[in-house]
Amino acid sequence: MSTRADPADSGDAQGKTFAPPAAPAANATSADADSIALRTVNLTLGFGQHTVLSEINVEVRRGAVTAIIGPTGSGKSTLLRTFNRMNDKVTGYRHAGDVLLGGRSIWHPGEDLMSLRRRVGMLFQRPNPFPMSISENVTAGVRVHKMAPRNALSTVAEEYLTAVGLWHAVKDRLKDSPFRLSGGQQQLLCLARALAVRPDVLLLDEPTSSLDPNATEAIEKLVRTLLPEITVLVVTHNMAQATRIADWTIFLNRGRLVEFGETKQVFEHPTEQETAGYVGGRFG
Amino acid sequence: MAATAPAAQPAGGAGTPPLRRLAGMLRARIRNGDLLRWLGRGGAVVPLLMLVLVLALLIDKAIPAMRFSGLGFITGSKWNFGSQYGTPVKSDGLLHLPGEEFGALPEVLGTLATSAIALIIAVPVSIGAALAIVELLPRRLANVVGAFLELLAGVPSVLVGLWGALTFGPIIAHDVAPLIANNAPSWLPFLRGDTGNGQGLLTSGLVLAVMIIPIIASTARDLIRGVPLLPREGAIALGMSDAECARRVTLPWVGAGIVGAVVLGLGRALGETIAVAMTCGVALGVLPTNLYAAMITIAANIVQNLDTAITDKMDISAFAYLALILMVITLASNVVARLLVQRVSGSGLPVGRGL
Repeated sequence: MSTRADPADSGDAQGKTFAPPAAPAANATSADADSIALRTVNLTLGFGQHTVLSEINVEVRRGAVTAIIGPTGSGKSTLLRTFNRMNDKVTGYRHAGDVLLGGRSIWHPGEDLMSLRRRVGMLFQRPNPFPMSISENVTAGVRVHKMAPRNALSTVAEEYLTAVGLWHAVKDRLKDSPFRLSGGQQQLLCLARALAVRPDVLLLDEPTSSLDPNATEAIEKLVRTLLPEITVLVVTHNMAQATRIADWTIFLNRGRLVEFGETKQVFEHPTEQETAGYVGGRFG
Repeated sequence: MAATAPAAQPAGGAGTPPLRRLAGMLRARIRNGDLLRWLGRGGAVVPLLMLVLVLALLIDKAIPAMRFSGLGFITGSKWNFGSQYGTPVKSDGLLHLPGEEFGALPEVLGTLATSAIALIIAVPVSIGAALAIVELLPRRLANVVGAFLELLAGVPSVLVGLWGALTFGPIIAHDVAPLIANNAPSWLPFLRGDTGNGQGLLTSGLVLAVMIIPIIASTARDLIRGVPLLPREGAIALGMSDAECARRVTLPWVGAGIVGAVVLGLGRALGETIAVAMTCGVALGVLPTNLYAAMITIAANIVQNLDTAITDKMDISAFAYLALILMVITLASNVVARLLVQRVSGSGLPVGRGL
């Protein structure tokens, strides 16, 4: 993770430079704009007649972890999957308003969908390795986006497997099937795969819901190490997880954004009655 | 099941004690699973037995031709049923017709070449069609295309052969073959030269392709339909295009099964008889000089000349030898496919997947 001076980096026009962690204002004209990685503007999402979320306005801080919480059916995943346009192909999906990634609409006609998805990575509810070897899994995205020459792929694989703490467990079986790994290891592998394309934003869709406590802890710890280079958005059903890893928390309920603030504030001093009810375990 | 029938009769009639006892015993056996076990064992042995039996019969019938022609049967190109009205002569202790000579090289090569052409065309078309049905077409259209695919699989081969001989062959002779022959580079003489009359290697290969596309495509479609959504979503989320997702994730996921589907099609192509006999030109004892020339396959020779051969034991023996070779080719392609499948499933597929 630390060695970002990759030869492919300079050649990658789409690759946004990571914001310097210490002083984001130093090289930016507007400090405020630069501290926002992702902004939704009156975002309304729905499928056919059914409106899932309406008028969502949120500013996701760069280099922080933002949790999206809310009861089942509140639109958490729909919102998350909008950010990398994974819903685009779902029949009936519609959106109004806008999502600005680094100040530009993700639906801008000049936006290359494939490069958008490289910049906005995703980790899913259950591990989903590809049917190829462990090392090929890590470098799958790197190969697709031609981010490293062929002879550097093994270095890339080692770098990101090390970054997720999987290197020692798999270094002797890089050519083996990933499906013989444990569920937690598979999820770490998928995280390595997502990180290897050096995303700006990482979307985690209940990333630990299928994992045991140890694997959950490993993923949670890793998420914090990604900062501040990567902005993380995590959908979670687990309140404790949100308080453990998130700097900011968005609470969605019944198709609306109820509350958005620092995690500590949302959980300890919610301004809305609804939030208090949900985080206090009274519903949801 | 038949064993229970006699027991049922006395139970309905007067019912003698010994038979009743037998019926009771049988019933108990059925209940504790003995019958099922024996049915299972019998069912498991039947395919093996049949294969061994067919092989043994073929070898037995082929022995005279093996002794008569030896290895020349595989390396030679001349085929002569001998003078059917001549007096049988004896050489090396074998009774045979004067002039008899068997060289099956054109048959063997023809069989392999037509099947190869069929596969070269059918595999990409089938996989493309399967992917299109599952991932591109709207559900209703996909169902229609899928139904047509299954209908196509059920068209009798004699109809495909007739269509090949009457419609497809002339199109090839007049339009397709000249186009390829005139534009092929000079270092590929096999694609150049005389374009023939539409009865030949290319026509047969294409007719075979038409026949195996539905087999491969419908199997591949079912396989691709079974690929879980999650890894495909993972590929899309990583910035892969639909084509990249198909190539790197969806198809490898079912790679072993696809190999199996292709072998199924290959088996059909290797053994397909009448459609090829109707379109190959039946060039007995002649090696095709180019892609358009008349040729022959193992199956086509047997079906076209059985009435000539049936009067002479040595001719029939030669056909048994031919059939044996066809069987070996088919079995060998199955074994190779199985090895391929093992290699494919060893490199990354979920445990227990594949054939």
